[in-house]
Amino acid sequence: MVDKPDYYAILGVTRKASLDEIKRAYFEAAQRLHPDKNKAFGETEVFLEVQQAYETLANPVRRKKYDATLPPEVLPSLPFKYNVYYSRPNLVRMKEEQMLYVLLEIAPEKKEDKTPAPPLNVSLVLDRSTSMKDEKMDMLKNAAIKVMRNLRPQDIFSVVTFSDRAEVLIPASYPYDKKKLESQIQMLQPSGATEIFQGLQAGFNEIERNISQERIDHIILLTDGHTYGDEQQCITLAEEAAAQGIGISAMGIGKEWNDVFLDTLASRTGGNSRYISRSGDIQNFLVEKFETFARTLADVVLETKRTPGAEMAYAFRTQPETGPLPLEESIHLGPVLQDSALNILFEYQIEPSLTELDRVSLLHGHLKMSIAGLPTKVPPIAIEFSREVKNEAGGEPPPNIIIQSLGKLTLYRMQERAHVEVSQGQYELAAQHMKQLATSLLAQGERSLARTALIEAENIAKMQSFSEEGSKEIKYGTRALIMPQEKELPV
Amino acid sequence: MIICPNCQYKNLDGTVFCVECGIQLSGIQPIVTQNISADNRPFPPMEKRKTAPFPEDLDTWASLHLLDSGQILPLGDRTEFTLGRVSEAQPIMPDIDLTPYQAYANGVSRLHAVLKREGKRVFVMDLGSSNGTYLNGKRLTPNVDQTLNHGDMLALGKLKIQILLKKS
Repeated sequence: MVDKPDYYAILGVTRKASLDEIKRAYFEAAQRLHPDKNKAFGETEVFLEVQQAYETLANPVRRKKYDATLPPEVLPSLPFKYNVYYSRPNLVRMKEEQMLYVLLEIAPEKKEDKTPAPPLNVSLVLDRSTSMKDEKMDMLKNAAIKVMRNLRPQDIFSVVTFSDRAEVLIPASYPYDKKKLESQIQMLQPSGATEIFQGLQAGFNEIERNISQERIDHIILLTDGHTYGDEQQCITLAEEAAAQGIGISAMGIGKEWNDVFLDTLASRTGGNSRYISRSGDIQNFLVEKFETFARTLADVVLETKRTPGAEMAYAFRTQPETGPLPLEESIHLGPVLQDSALNILFEYQIEPSLTELDRVSLLHGHLKMSIAGLPTKVPPIAIEFSREVKNEAGGEPPPNIIIQSLGKLTLYRMQERAHVEVSQGQYELAAQHMKQLATSLLAQGERSLARTALIEAENIAKMQSFSEEGSKEIKYGTRALIMPQEKELPV
Repeated sequence: MIICPNCQYKNLDGTVFCVECGIQLSGIQPIVTQNISADNRPFPPMEKRKTAPFPEDLDTWASLHLLDSGQILPLGDRTEFTLGRVSEAQPIMPDIDLTPYQAYANGVSRLHAVLKREGKRVFVMDLGSSNGTYLNGKRLTPNVDQTLNHGDMLALGKLKIQILLKKS
């Protein structure tokens, strides 16, 4: 065994990392861990290690010496492997822009025995504003109690409620006395307005107390309303959460909440938003979310630099937990589950000037994983998307996996575009596109969604806007189509 | 560039599903824009069309002069014709399908308008189309007949059609 710590792992860089990358990793870590700023127990010690790692690796002479003492790099045997699929075998040398779709699949290794479910550090952030009264509140309480009862002794759980201010109903703790927790949840009373930032901040504080690499650190936000004026604060907080490996998932109940905002919020952290049309379904959604936690193998972050001329124009997680991803240099891709791969579809727009090269590199970066149940960091894995450029297009059709997910994603994006058109005042165009979508949905046998799309086309034509309900039904309905149907196909 | 066979939308090369209407682009293999030189063109260059003398020899009472393409569509001898565009998976069949004339891009509805002849008089009626029917620049009230004269300019959405009537 090695006596010296692995400085590369401590900084989270590869052994081939450039000085720039090492500096960047150090500054990032230092900002978070500096004794003036750090919050969690033990972070000062970690900071000292980071300091030592940096001092060694940033100095070329010392780095060389240190490298000589390192055992040959043993790539960790990860519980999964990744594959990259391209929509075309090569790019074509041409004078026009062209598209390329890339599907990144991070699949779990098949195993006989199940990996034990990782310990949780989960905070429920519950909207208790006046609009949550009666049935919704009862359903919410039942759902919270249900997931609380399923907790194991090693899980850490907290409940925060918010209206225009936040209260910590159950501080982050192990669920020793479930009866007591249950009666605390039962005391929840609706009143006040909706200010999401208050709740999110309180939930974040509860998570932060016990944040750890091996736990699933996650905030689940349940709300039924719009928040006003604090959206930007929420996003900033989500970014901070993402940097610390805390995920945020959002569940909107009923029709009057801001789906675009909750999507933006959650997607920063690798989470997504869900639409709960009937309050009777709150429990199902919440239980399902906890089941997903239990099956989580790892969370994956893609760190990448832009390639000028080859723009990543769109990124979408097609499974699990479908949702759009932000186009940032550091993208939280989401979870790899024990029984389901993490699939991300990227769309690239390639400028003609790049096709003068022999090979175009579309993405050059690293996959950073935090493996559930593993207390230490694993070194990042280098990843590259690139294609050769030829004069002729290859004849092969795109791989099936791309056709399948892209076909469904196209429907989702049609409604997305209609929303943009409505916001730009192009009502006729938007209505037309919704009709077009209805036709496509009908062709795929999605009768009820098609009908909703037609009604929305009429709404747009007449009232120049979507209805809140129809718009969410179509958005989340088309999103649900993207997930592969889990039925056995006859061979 | 790939032109969608369904809606004529111009998609970027490499696109797999039409951005406009969502259908899988046929052939799947990307179609590279080809440069055709005059020598190996499959057909001799077409003569330039003159603007629309009425095709007297045909047994028809009206023709549609599509201004964008310069083409003339003689109508048959029925007294009523619906104008629109055929779209996949919908059982609506207009008598005159304007799809080949960029109907979709110009905002023509599936059932857009109807042309009628009653004795010597010819009428047009908008069928509640999304983008409206315009007669000499004025928007028609849906479901109301309007008299048509030879040379009138009709616009279905943005698709401009000159009406040519047979002298009688």
